Amino acid sequence: MRKRLGILFWIAVLWIVLVVFLAIFRDSLPIADPVARLARSGECERFERPSWSRWFGCDNAGRDIFARSVEGARPALVLGVVVTGIAGTIGTLVGVISGYIRGLFDTVMTTIVDISLAFPALVLLIAVSVAFEPSLRVFVIVFSILGIPGYARIVRGATFALAEREFVDASESMGATRARIVRRELLPNVALPVLSFAFIGFALVIIAEGGLAFLNLSLDGITWGKEISEGRHFIVDHPHVSLIPSTVMFLTILAFNLVGDGLRSLVAPREVATARRLHIEGTPEPRSEGDDAVLRIVDLSTKLHTPGGLVEPVDQVSLSLAPGEALGIVGESGSGKTMILRSIVGAFPLADVTRAGTVEVDGVDMLRSADTVSRRTLGTNIGMVSQNPLTALNPVRRVGDQVIEPMIVHGDLSRADARERALELLQQVGIPAAERCLREYPHQLSGGMRQRVTIAIALANEPKLLLADEPTSALDVTVQDQILRLLDGLRRERGMGMVLVTHDLAVVKGFTDNVAIVYAGQVVEYGPTAEIFANPQHRYTVALMNSMPDLNLPSHSELTTIEGAPPSLIDPPSGCRFAERCPAVQDKCRTDDPVRAGTDVHSYSCWFPMSEHPVEVS
Amino acid sequence: MAGTGDAHLREDAHLVARDLVVEFSGPNKTVVHAVSGVSFDLIAGETLGVVGESGCGKTTSGRAVMQLERPTSGEVTLRGQRLTDLQGTDLRRARRAMQMIFQDPISSLNPSRRVKDIVREGIEIWGDPDGASTSDRIDEIMEAVGLGGDDVGERRPHEFSGGQCQRICIARALVLDPEVLILDEPVSALDVSVQAQILNLLDKLKEQFQLTIMFISHDLAVVKNVSDRVMVMYLGKVCEVAGTDALYAKPTHPYSRALLASIPGHELDLPPASELISGELPSPIDPPSGCRFRTRCPHATAKCATEEPVLRAVAEDHYVACHHPGSV
Amino acid sequence: MAFLRRLGRLVLVVFVVTFFTFYILDRIPGDPAERLAGVSATPEGIEELREELGLSGSLPERYGSWVGDIVRGDLGDSLIYDGISAWDRIRGALPKTLETLVLAELMAFGLAVPLAIRSAQRPGGLVDRWSSATAFGLLALPSFVLGIYLMFLFAVILGWFPVLSKDLPGFTDDPVGNLKGYFLPSLTLALNLLAVYVRLLRTDLIETLQQDYVMLAQARGLSTRRVMWRHVLRPSSLNTVTAAGLNVGGLIGGAFIVEVLFAYQGMGRVFIESIIGKDYFVVASMVTIIAVGYVMINFLVDILYSVLDPRIRRLSA
Ligand SMILES: Nc1ncnc2c1ncn2[C@@H]1O[C@H](COP(=O)(O)OP(=O)(O)OP(=O)(O)O)[C@@H](O)[C@H]1O
Ligand code: SF4
Ligand code: SF4
Ligand SMILES: [Mg+2]
Repeated sequence: MRKRLGILFWIAVLWIVLVVFLAIFRDSLPIADPVARLARSGECERFERPSWSRWFGCDNAGRDIFARSVEGARPALVLGVVVTGIAGTIGTLVGVISGYIRGLFDTVMTTIVDISLAFPALVLLIAVSVAFEPSLRVFVIVFSILGIPGYARIVRGATFALAEREFVDASESMGATRARIVRRELLPNVALPVLSFAFIGFALVIIAEGGLAFLNLSLDGITWGKEISEGRHFIVDHPHVSLIPSTVMFLTILAFNLVGDGLRSLVAPREVATARRLHIEGTPEPRSEGDDAVLRIVDLSTKLHTPGGLVEPVDQVSLSLAPGEALGIVGESGSGKTMILRSIVGAFPLADVTRAGTVEVDGVDMLRSADTVSRRTLGTNIGMVSQNPLTALNPVRRVGDQVIEPMIVHGDLSRADARERALELLQQVGIPAAERCLREYPHQLSGGMRQRVTIAIALANEPKLLLADEPTSALDVTVQDQILRLLDGLRRERGMGMVLVTHDLAVVKGFTDNVAIVYAGQVVEYGPTAEIFANPQHRYTVALMNSMPDLNLPSHSELTTIEGAPPSLIDPPSGCRFAERCPAVQDKCRTDDPVRAGTDVHSYSCWFPMSEHPVEVS
Repeated sequence: MAGTGDAHLREDAHLVARDLVVEFSGPNKTVVHAVSGVSFDLIAGETLGVVGESGCGKTTSGRAVMQLERPTSGEVTLRGQRLTDLQGTDLRRARRAMQMIFQDPISSLNPSRRVKDIVREGIEIWGDPDGASTSDRIDEIMEAVGLGGDDVGERRPHEFSGGQCQRICIARALVLDPEVLILDEPVSALDVSVQAQILNLLDKLKEQFQLTIMFISHDLAVVKNVSDRVMVMYLGKVCEVAGTDALYAKPTHPYSRALLASIPGHELDLPPASELISGELPSPIDPPSGCRFRTRCPHATAKCATEEPVLRAVAEDHYVACHHPGSV
Repeated sequence: MAFLRRLGRLVLVVFVVTFFTFYILDRIPGDPAERLAGVSATPEGIEELREELGLSGSLPERYGSWVGDIVRGDLGDSLIYDGISAWDRIRGALPKTLETLVLAELMAFGLAVPLAIRSAQRPGGLVDRWSSATAFGLLALPSFVLGIYLMFLFAVILGWFPVLSKDLPGFTDDPVGNLKGYFLPSLTLALNLLAVYVRLLRTDLIETLQQDYVMLAQARGLSTRRVMWRHVLRPSSLNTVTAAGLNVGGLIGGAFIVEVLFAYQGMGRVFIESIIGKDYFVVASMVTIIAVGYVMINFLVDILYSVLDPRIRRLSA
């Protein structure tokens, strides 16, 4: 934890401690009298510049600025502590009740908070400080009232999100009372956000008081704001009189903000700052004579440089897809299926990415061609469908605009022609009211319809290759069947190559010609679908098949389990990556990387494949 | 009423939900009819599978049984005690005999608490059910869910994988020695290889702790594997209830048939799904009159629009809510 | 329906705020009628004057009659300056403050959008790290401190702008002189806003950039520019727009302070002067104008919000 807070955090803490220390022990430290006019006694000239003997110099009346800065910290700190305590406590309670119990209380609370948060607080403060004799008590009351909405809002938001989480339900079904749920499940989880906001709120109190003091409406005595306000008249000739208290104030506020921000990063880890850069390594593998594959992947490796370390989600993958062929890629989540597709199109999450090997689509080298060339191939020869139709369409653009866009950008069609064609496409993918659909926004469509729209977009420029990433996992069974049939029909009709990524073996069995089984970033078995289902070789393939509940087996059939979980891709084990979980593992598996075996058609990377060792070796 | 009726309820049931109705308020003062007159029961030691597509009210039914969602009407009886009549402490005490496991194992665990405190929660609230020493009991349960080991309790949820988190959730539920477990999609957030581990574990625990289970899932193959009896739901209604093998061998309600026919690789003698179902799922805010499936059913007649089919027996212990079950 | 509710809210806010103002003014020591009547006035004379000014009667009565006048379009007279109406006082000050505010928002958005885009394109890159650090620093600068810094740098050292913004020419008379005068006060406000906007927009842009639909847009071979402007910016702008609405209050407060700092007669200075002088109707009218303005701006933000996000349109329709 300490490491994550960073050096600035600790410097800020140090500064706050220093300011607090000076403010408390001012009297017992060798600090000049803040109100004494030292110019009279000749100790200090008016407007004396800062020097070693008088760190901050003197002001217009010849008073010691350092002493006044220390003195000015006192009202700021006292006010900050008291107000933060009061507003924080009340605000947290109000926020928790509002976010957990909800109902009328919440509605009323939210309205009040919304109105008061945006209202010009300073106007109110000015009025109050003129009307009431400015005293610490009045300020505490007013600042606390003004501070409560901020805390309430933060806590309500956090509570609201927590209360949606299932552990609150779980606790309720255990029989916990509401009070217990608030105490045990909610408060501990909002404590850190509140603490973090308290520091920022503290800074806000200092700023607000400073503003009033600047307008000469604040407490009697010395405050930072007043110093700045008085000093500004001499800014032209004696800038230090105002710049020094300004800077002291700035640094203090900054310190509080830094601490607050640091604490917040403990709750919601600061999103990692990594630039996205794409690197390409290695040399392309030349294509052999007469190879007409639409997609040719040779020894593709993709590495992501993440803060956790170097991840290699695609390791030495080779695949090839003939025109009109359907290739299935199967594996568990995190095995690198999606990353294979992303490596083809070159769209990655924010991270440094290095790709090596060859990726060719319709003869175009996707890794090394000029940007315009590969973009053109992407636009015209590749269509992509992703897993979640809810997130695959831009929520704020009309369906029509999204379908038309690739045709206008790459197909050089006019808007009207593109619209014509968009209508046609939507009808082809089975959208009944295509005309209306074009004018609608994605949220107005059902999941199945949205997926049809993304398919229509993918088909817009008649691609030769369709990449479908779990196109049906987020859909209902009956819709899933419709979409798979639609894709299958379109592929056959247009002679498109299709890559179908899925975790569902039944889908692969029904809809693909060839299949690649992926485990921990590697293709462990690759060949014709029928052949692999009839005659699986790699131990993982076998285990995967046996662990799937089968609709055709009687109920309560025992499932074969694969113990453990897949290895981390950050420092994968040497040897066979499945060794930890393999029922047939031998010493050799743990030390030597399996060599690709089998035929050109059906290959696998296992030292002890099923055909050679039908019974479990052990 | 469509998919209503209680012909399928049995005398010796341990847990009975009768004519449950749950409504939510939707946008603009509309009413979402999430569950509309659903009845089911569980005999001690039985596993009831509940299947249906998203939004059909599976989760809501489970939550209504738990009283996490108070039903708008209808009753839930556990061992003859009507939970729907209870409030406050009485309800909490009575409900102790039922526990629920949720879909997302990670969000089911409070990230700021240690595993040992999470699992001990029930005992902290109620005291130890059989008076044995608490830590022994917890050790035994952790062992049973496959999380034995010294340091597990000291760690926090984020250090565990999804499958392990689900084991922790199960352990937490078992601590109170429940009679009934309600599992809402307990394996759908998990990987295939881990899914089998949890399913096998549940089977084992069912024996060991003599559990009665309500198993909610959208995955027909998973439900078939774990259930003794299955209930198919559509848009807040029950379509069909039968013993698992009977239902999967001879699905009789038009919707059950469409559902099964949609699964790739099934070996049933069914026409293609496209002939069994058409159109889009209607909104639960404004469900169709009569039989709720009629807008998508190939066999729908005028009667289906006006009159709601009631569950009735088509074979021994096989109940279907359809006016024309014979036409399929 | 939604419109009526909003209108109700507007009336409520204005009512609460103005009534509170009357209450506050009542508490301020001193009697304007006595002061206006002069030292030689008789008690009867003062009473008469009070009657005439609308200062007699209980607090609710006075409030009621003031509301009546307002509805008839009469804001009342200044109690400090003889023969000057409240509207005259406001008319001189309002345009100055408005110009400052508008310039500030323009500068803030004009800088924030490109900066946030650059930062989001390369999170952790040079632009991003500098702009994040600068924004963080700016957030810790209250406007009077920032104003002093800017004044010192641009006016005192560099001499590019006037130190004070007193007696500026009108925009139509001398646009350059006018803008030069308002530049520093506006910049002071703008930099505070900028910090808020850049941080929010950058975070939301980065989040949107990770969305599936953006990845798919890239995979369709669209240029980075097109993806950013057509696909990413709009869905990422919601929080920033909300923040702009929420910041209006703080911005008005900031304007008051920079007016004092740069010494020009905007709403803020008039307000403070009037409230200290217990200039009833000027204060109440200013508060009304600010309250109405604030509610209107939030209303506008709501509209903009639903223009930006069609999903909200349906809910509020
Ligand atoms: N709290 C709620 N407020 C409003 N509507 C709700 C609420 N909870 C559920 N619903 C609605 O009730 C209906 C039934 O929902 P439920 O979650 O029970 O379905 P489900 O079968 O479990 O679906 P899934 O497979 O997606 O989990 C749906 O239309 C859903 O949108
Ligand atoms: S190489 Fe060895 S460990 Fe790997 S799958 Fe084959 S038998 Fe198992
Ligand atoms: S035949 Fe009629 S009652 Fe039966 S499912 Fe179809 S619509 Fe419903
Ligand atoms: Mg559910």
